Amino acid sequence: MPNAVPIDYQCMLKKPDDFDAFWDGVLQQVAAIPLEPEMLPDPLRTSAEVEVFQVFYSSLEHVRIAAWYCRPTRRAARIPAVLVLPGYQADPPIPKEWALKGYGALSVAPRGKLRSHRQFNPGYPNLLTYNIVDRHTYAYRGFYVDAWRGIDFLLSRPEIDPTRLGVTGSSQGGGLTITTAAMRPEIRAAAAGAPYLCGFMDAIALTHTYPYEEINDFLRAHPDSRCAVEETVAYFDGINFADKITCPIIVNIGLQDNVCPPETGYALFNQIRATDKQLYTYDGHGHDAGRYKHNAIVDRFFAQHLLAER
Amino acid sequence: MDQKPGDFDQYWQQTLEALAGYAACPEIDVLPLRSTDFATLYGVRLTSLGPYRLFGYLSIPTGEGPFPAIYYVPKYQSVLEIIPQGTTNLQRSRYITFALAGRGQRNADTPYAAMFPGLLTEGIDQAASYMFRGIVADSVRGLQFLLTRRELDPARVVVVGNDMALITAALQPGATHVVTAPALFYNTAELAPRIQVYPLEEVNDYLRTFPDRTEAVRRTLAYYDLRAFAPRLSATTLVMAGAPGTLLDTPTLGPLVTALQGQVTVYTSEQSSYKDGLYTEQWMAAQCGITDLQSILPEHWR
Repeated sequence: MPNAVPIDYQCMLKKPDDFDAFWDGVLQQVAAIPLEPEMLPDPLRTSAEVEVFQVFYSSLEHVRIAAWYCRPTRRAARIPAVLVLPGYQADPPIPKEWALKGYGALSVAPRGKLRSHRQFNPGYPNLLTYNIVDRHTYAYRGFYVDAWRGIDFLLSRPEIDPTRLGVTGSSQGGGLTITTAAMRPEIRAAAAGAPYLCGFMDAIALTHTYPYEEINDFLRAHPDSRCAVEETVAYFDGINFADKITCPIIVNIGLQDNVCPPETGYALFNQIRATDKQLYTYDGHGHDAGRYKHNAIVDRFFAQHLLAER
Repeated sequence: MDQKPGDFDQYWQQTLEALAGYAACPEIDVLPLRSTDFATLYGVRLTSLGPYRLFGYLSIPTGEGPFPAIYYVPKYQSVLEIIPQGTTNLQRSRYITFALAGRGQRNADTPYAAMFPGLLTEGIDQAASYMFRGIVADSVRGLQFLLTRRELDPARVVVVGNDMALITAALQPGATHVVTAPALFYNTAELAPRIQVYPLEEVNDYLRTFPDRTEAVRRTLAYYDLRAFAPRLSATTLVMAGAPGTLLDTPTLGPLVTALQGQVTVYTSEQSSYKDGLYTEQWMAAQCGITDLQSILPEHWR
């Protein structure tokens, strides 16, 4: 078995003094852009149990974002909802399984993802390093906001109970779960798996696998840009968002994760401000982060926090 | 069980003959951003059936060959990876790697951009024009291209992927080893209704919407069933089966394993990307005579 991972690992990360001011500015920009939601029934994907819709809404820089929305066909007047966020190269799934459990579920394709890449298409690989020397144009600036705006879509739906919103995802979806839970106080429960986008600069030394390897590629080609890269990613590092999370949260990591180093998972978890937080570590597991066992824990967690009527 | 169509061999012979009608016309460009001191990465454009222009990432190790090669066939996702996520970049120091985007995937999405979900049922009611007929041709074309590389050791050519790995190696000579994780084309008409999980859920969606096409879909799928290809495959093969009780577990895949002609190893998933991935890396290294595997494993697997 590989070497043990130190649970008190600390990332070499500093939070910029103007971190909050930077994101306040971004939020002000996006607040001026109408959501303009569209919800188109998708009869091909709709079944007797689950209604499926193609969703589109506007985000930062007026980029049109696609998503899948599922809801149970038979439902109460108000149902809880879960925002489902995608992995780096995964195609956003149609979240039927959440609807089958009684939730409204929105699966977002942030900019650059399939169906959301008409106006912004940095490519894969390349998203991670697109304008990585400039926080004001870095790819993840809009990408994060696209995920956060999914909450606005859910809040626009009359069938969704605004007091019972959750967020979940794994890998990049785990990282986005962290930033979304941090920036959207409406979230009541969050479940993040194998969180990516946490401890960027540590991760590129701890592992040499894609997607993080994109940054090593970039620095090999642009060695003079290292400081600029470090400065930029500090504004986007999930660890720097963690002290804003106050909702109940669970995090699962694999101790042999070859994509998102478990060290960064520990470092993230230690910085989460919420008192109701739980870390699940899975020895003998890689980037799957034990999901085959952990899925039942996630189900119970959301059922406890979201399914019960308030 | 789907019956093997009587014209199965003719269907695929015609496909290969049509593919042969188009020269590959490779266009190869160095990609400096992804090149290192241990490997050079190239972007490769190839022509396939249609004609349709494809894209792939070819990595050649630094130093004197010949090198073993890994061919990553088109995956069922929109994104093309240089090497699979989680594979250490140093794999490229020991193996030639070639990853191909089939038609519809990114970098090969002009004029056809596939949807995920959606691709699996694109034209599925017409066997002659089913989109996967072209994708199989694309995958074969990729292997044909790889085999032309002078740096390659023809005694160590591993084709890796899901169903497409087995199908490609069955149709195109040259693969010495295959790693296949069946997912799309094993007894699909029978198994898809048992689950509500994509991508097989696409078939359920399609048949719920077009119930009158059920027989036509079944006929098409029969041309793609792995069991029909298995007798053609003589390469040494690793079959990655699902965990016990899952849809494509070891007992379910028994008929496929029995029909394969080469030496076969069946690995049952432990539902751990670490354990499953490590086994695959070890198996490939052993088959290819890579003796220092530890040095090219991900750091957290060493």
